[in-house]
Amino acid sequence: MSLVTTLLEQCGIQASLAQGDDFQKWLINEAWNKYKDSRMNKRIVIENQVKDLNIKLSNGTVRKDYTASFSLSKDVVTDFWIDGCDQLGLKCDISEENECTISGKPSQPGDFKLKLSYKYDGMIDGEEPLSIELPIAFNPNPRSLWKDIPTDKNVIFYKDDCVCEYVKVEEKEETGPRKDIVAASQRGRSHAQEGKARDDHFKLVHCEDSDWYIIAVADGAGSAKYSRKGSEIACETVVAHCLEKLKDSAAFEEKIRAYKNAEDEETARKQMANIIYDIIGNAAFKAHKAINEASKANENSKPKDFATTLMFAICKKFDFGWFIASYWVGDGAMCLYNEKKGTSKLLGIPDEGEYSGQTRFLTMPEIFKDATAVFERLRFSIEDDFTSLMLMTDGVSDPMFETENNLNDFEKWKEFWNKLKTGFAEDEIGGVDLSDDNEESKTQLLKWLSFWSPGNHDDRTIAILY
Amino acid sequence: MRRLPVYILIDTSTSMRGEPIEAVKGGITSLIESLNQDPYALETVCLSIITYNASAEQIVPLTEVYKFHLPEIIAKGRSALGEALMLLTSKVPEEVHKNTPETKGDWKPLLFILSDGGYSGPIAKPIAEFKKLTFGVVVACAAGEKSHIDVLRKITNDVIQISTIDSTSIKSYFKWISSSISTTSMKIETAGEYDMAIDALPPLPNEIKVLRSTNN
Repeated sequence: MSLVTTLLEQCGIQASLAQGDDFQKWLINEAWNKYKDSRMNKRIVIENQVKDLNIKLSNGTVRKDYTASFSLSKDVVTDFWIDGCDQLGLKCDISEENECTISGKPSQPGDFKLKLSYKYDGMIDGEEPLSIELPIAFNPNPRSLWKDIPTDKNVIFYKDDCVCEYVKVEEKEETGPRKDIVAASQRGRSHAQEGKARDDHFKLVHCEDSDWYIIAVADGAGSAKYSRKGSEIACETVVAHCLEKLKDSAAFEEKIRAYKNAEDEETARKQMANIIYDIIGNAAFKAHKAINEASKANENSKPKDFATTLMFAICKKFDFGWFIASYWVGDGAMCLYNEKKGTSKLLGIPDEGEYSGQTRFLTMPEIFKDATAVFERLRFSIEDDFTSLMLMTDGVSDPMFETENNLNDFEKWKEFWNKLKTGFAEDEIGGVDLSDDNEESKTQLLKWLSFWSPGNHDDRTIAILY
Repeated sequence: MRRLPVYILIDTSTSMRGEPIEAVKGGITSLIESLNQDPYALETVCLSIITYNASAEQIVPLTEVYKFHLPEIIAKGRSALGEALMLLTSKVPEEVHKNTPETKGDWKPLLFILSDGGYSGPIAKPIAEFKKLTFGVVVACAAGEKSHIDVLRKITNDVIQISTIDSTSIKSYFKWISSSISTTSMKIETAGEYDMAIDALPPLPNEIKVLRSTNN
């Protein structure tokens, strides 16, 4: 008798020893298989429950703070851990409540998989834990993808990738502090990415003898192959013409005084307009012609290959205030900003099409088709003191103002003026110290121009009389 | 900031089951990988995916490339192309920002369609509604000989065809979409606009042929 046959006999079953042995084998095998199935089913149930949680880790950016969290119900999972965090520069914290937080600064870009291993209630010692892969992706920092390829110095009409200048007009006993000009021009990231030249240009002059300020800023069209030369010719030509006209400006200044004191405002204004036309209008026309000449001199090129915008202003301080005259064709912004009075005055209307690329250029014949076309772009006025006169290409005005509406809003100019002074702390770009005679401000301004604005990587140029 | 919205409409009916749908998933994954390496695209491109089988579903709402997660795509059922167009017609005005006096809106969206075989459900009204939207470029790719090219022609003039729905052809279509998006995002940056024509996009790979309409 064996234990099994005895048990069987108690149930009224007569079995031989061999039958008892065989029955025992059969019974245990049968039960063991059922047991295994049941264990396996439980594993699968739990596995599916975890899968159905659909744990997703958000994408991160290399070297930028990253956090992602999820939690697993204690009813499903009793214990879990994650492998693979260390190699990615991340750490993983799991709380008593089964809340998991993955955080850190991802060290490398790419697609990776973390392994989440877990145990559930009813597992036996030594049983292999379950696991699931969690995909996680880190993008490169978009800024690190921008290349800065220097422009080939042998390229025709080469110009430096960035320039800055300060025109210091020192204070004199009889005048007190006098305004200075600071300007900077920075090649856009889209050009730097491909090693293409800067298309913007500026030119500043203060005539020591007559005390006139002359400032010109131009933006060569991105689509025109020699526009970098076009913008240069435009600035150089208008400044040279104005300087010639203003070197000995006694007669002109008499007219300005007469205009200031005129009783018949309308007649005086018309007379003044004709004089301004001679200086400013002709300067612009001369620049237009100079570009046409340059195009003729250069084989296989048309004037439109030199397409450029242009804005320039002349101004001088008198005992009764400032006289300012200007001309503007194309986009960008030219603004007389007066913080104390709370005014911002746009010196013209930006030529913006429905799309920002559809601007007008100095090189277009219709810009000079008749006198009216020229007069429309001229502005002149007498102003009390002002905070600053700013001229900038659309590389600066687009990201900073976006729309024409904002260009006409004093509050937006105030924000802009403050931004110039405070800089961009989050990008470690300092402000510009616009105090009198601070020559350092030119390098500060150049640095300031490298601010980050997604989708705005055009050349940037700004000139400030302050 | 001005985004470049890109919509991709994908047929996920039964006929796409197996190799084709795997190729679509692989194609989208490589598309995201390559856009993630492109500084222009990374800053400006937003992507949405609408799939359609028995019904249409926007499986990815308009999302920045760097945040993009591709959910599971399963091929089954019929091809509710009309419903997909209706869904698109309701999503575009919701998701694409318009110009306001204070901010510039998004760029005109791009649309890429992958259609295999025919379509089920009403189509005339959805096409009429869809036509009211403004897109920069609309390209419809007909996969396989059985495609209803005349219907796609009603959606856009730019219909292209891959003759077989195999993995290579589908992947090359997505590769071409990816380089088209890159080119466009660079153009808007440098020129401030982009040409609204398929000819301005990179040349089509060999597997794809352009079906020029003969009557216009």
